[in-house]
Amino acid sequence: MSIDAPVKVAAGSRRLTHTEAVVEAIAVEMRRDARVFLIGQDIGPFGGSMQGTRGLYEEFGPERVLEAPISESAMVGSALGAALFGCRPIVEVSFGEFLPAAMNQLINQAPNLHYMTGGAARVPVVIRTRVGDGPYGGHPQDYVSWFALVPGLKVVVPATPADAKGLMIAAIRDDNPVLFVEPMSLSHARRAEVPDGDYIVPIGSANHARPGRDVTLVVWGSTLPLALQAAATLSSEAVEVEVIDLRSLAPWDAGTVVDSVRRTRRLVIAHETWVTGSFGAEVAATVAGHVPRVDLLAPITRVGAAPVPIPSGPLRARALPTSAHIVSAVHATLER
Amino acid sequence: MTGARELFRWMVVARTLGTTLCTLNVRWFPVEGEEAVHVGSFVDLRADDAAAPHYRDPFIVYLMRGAELWRLVAQVLGKSAGYNKGRSVAFNGPFHLGVVPWVAGDLGTTIGTATGAALAFKQLRSDRVCVCSFGDGTANRGDFHENINLAATWRLPIVYVCQNNGWAISQRASSYLPAPVAARAAGYGIPGRTVDGQDVEAVRAVVAEAVDRARSGEGPTLVDALTYRRRGHWAGHILSDADRAGIIERPDPIDVLRLRLLERGVVSEAEIRQIHERAADEIAAAVEQARAAADVGDAELGLDDVFA
Repeated sequence: MSIDAPVKVAAGSRRLTHTEAVVEAIAVEMRRDARVFLIGQDIGPFGGSMQGTRGLYEEFGPERVLEAPISESAMVGSALGAALFGCRPIVEVSFGEFLPAAMNQLINQAPNLHYMTGGAARVPVVIRTRVGDGPYGGHPQDYVSWFALVPGLKVVVPATPADAKGLMIAAIRDDNPVLFVEPMSLSHARRAEVPDGDYIVPIGSANHARPGRDVTLVVWGSTLPLALQAAATLSSEAVEVEVIDLRSLAPWDAGTVVDSVRRTRRLVIAHETWVTGSFGAEVAATVAGHVPRVDLLAPITRVGAAPVPIPSGPLRARALPTSAHIVSAVHATLER
Repeated sequence: MTGARELFRWMVVARTLGTTLCTLNVRWFPVEGEEAVHVGSFVDLRADDAAAPHYRDPFIVYLMRGAELWRLVAQVLGKSAGYNKGRSVAFNGPFHLGVVPWVAGDLGTTIGTATGAALAFKQLRSDRVCVCSFGDGTANRGDFHENINLAATWRLPIVYVCQNNGWAISQRASSYLPAPVAARAAGYGIPGRTVDGQDVEAVRAVVAEAVDRARSGEGPTLVDALTYRRRGHWAGHILSDADRAGIIERPDPIDVLRLRLLERGVVSEAEIRQIHERAADEIAAAVEQARAAADVGDAELGLDDVFA
């Protein structure tokens, strides 16, 4: 296979789940570029955690789909090294709860390599992982916000199948380390139209998921469906909520958020992770401290998980935000 | 192939440069007494191979790969002419010379990236190899175990060299090494070799055999090069008498080779003096040039250089 072979751009689309869209994106890039390969656990004939690599081993074989020892730090570290020396690896860290096992490589190495070599080195690595509540109930803790605070690392959290494909292709083609996060509650959710072939969503661009004039609601990942549900409920009360799906946490699209809040003058931020120190705090601080000033009619309100380690079993539902919480937060904003 | 006379010259340069840098920057890490491991492990690598040397003054490795002496000195002085624009720890080498970067503040991280260089060489179906060295303190990081296990599993073209100087900052090896480092190789199913780290020719021979093995697709080797740290962890770290009493002294690697070369008639005493004088002159000139170089400024801060 030749490197950088031209891609056939197809006009059509297919209905895919979030996971199927990610797999398709990886396959598109592996066909196009021989330097792309995959490292991870259970990604061989088993087909990946939550079927996340289904079909890739059959198409590309063991030389490009590398089953690794359970060694997250070595998986990420060796992927960074392979990227420095001419490859474009994708590391599959099965679940976000395993990221801390590779923290040193993710925080002390990946973001620094380009800058601290005086711009000489490039590190085209994608670290793919899954976070939050999901169909199998395991590994629910969501630490993604931590990674968005480090200069030099890109963080994307697609919330629709089309964005999942477009952002994965963008991530693989990016010359920087990108953390690609799949919200587990969306992995096997309803299929949606995904463009065929070469389809890119630029990293750092938010999406207006629903227009509205009364309140700006900023979300990402698994909270998008809850936000759209809340917006539909509120619409029946004649409250029009503008839902902005950030899609990327680093870099993030502050301009789109500020422009929206300038119009609505009310801001609610909702996410599955905890409120304290989450990326929502950065969104709030940016809007509150913006120059020229955004003239708010009500204090900024945040919705997130209860401040407890996310519990297992039926107790979990009491810890996580719901669309009803979002509706209440919007109501509170309107009452002030 | 580099001759024994050249090996001697590299070690003299390493010693002279190291002692000079220790006077310029008290935070520099003295290499005195450990030069043979740096020189012997990396001298035979090809230009297209990757080098991931231990952080303890690895400048001789960069020089052997073609780095400019004065620019390395500039790094220790925090000047803009350093290869990394003053942005990283001073021992981080020039990436364009195939040096695995040192950008993390802690140890073991480069074992991962060095292993990745070897992974790239295998994926790209080349016959390039990587040599990665680290200290006996670092050998206890999880990255040591994880990466050697991974490299052994995937038969990656890499040689791991433990520059075993018997110290981890203030702690003696008895507080962290319950068994010889080379013995761990058996657990990964790879060869483990112990070598006299004061004998540059012995280090070179053992590493060369391991490099051949790596290049021919037979996977990694773990080399334990026994050396000793003559000074403190950093230039300003003064060892106590009690510390000194505990040091297992080993012969000076430069003396070992000097006597051998004289015996073989490869060099004369006069030539040895010349080698020392030339090294001192070159280093003095490099220090002067580096001192005169520009200080770092906003261009080096590089707000637009965080992402590629």
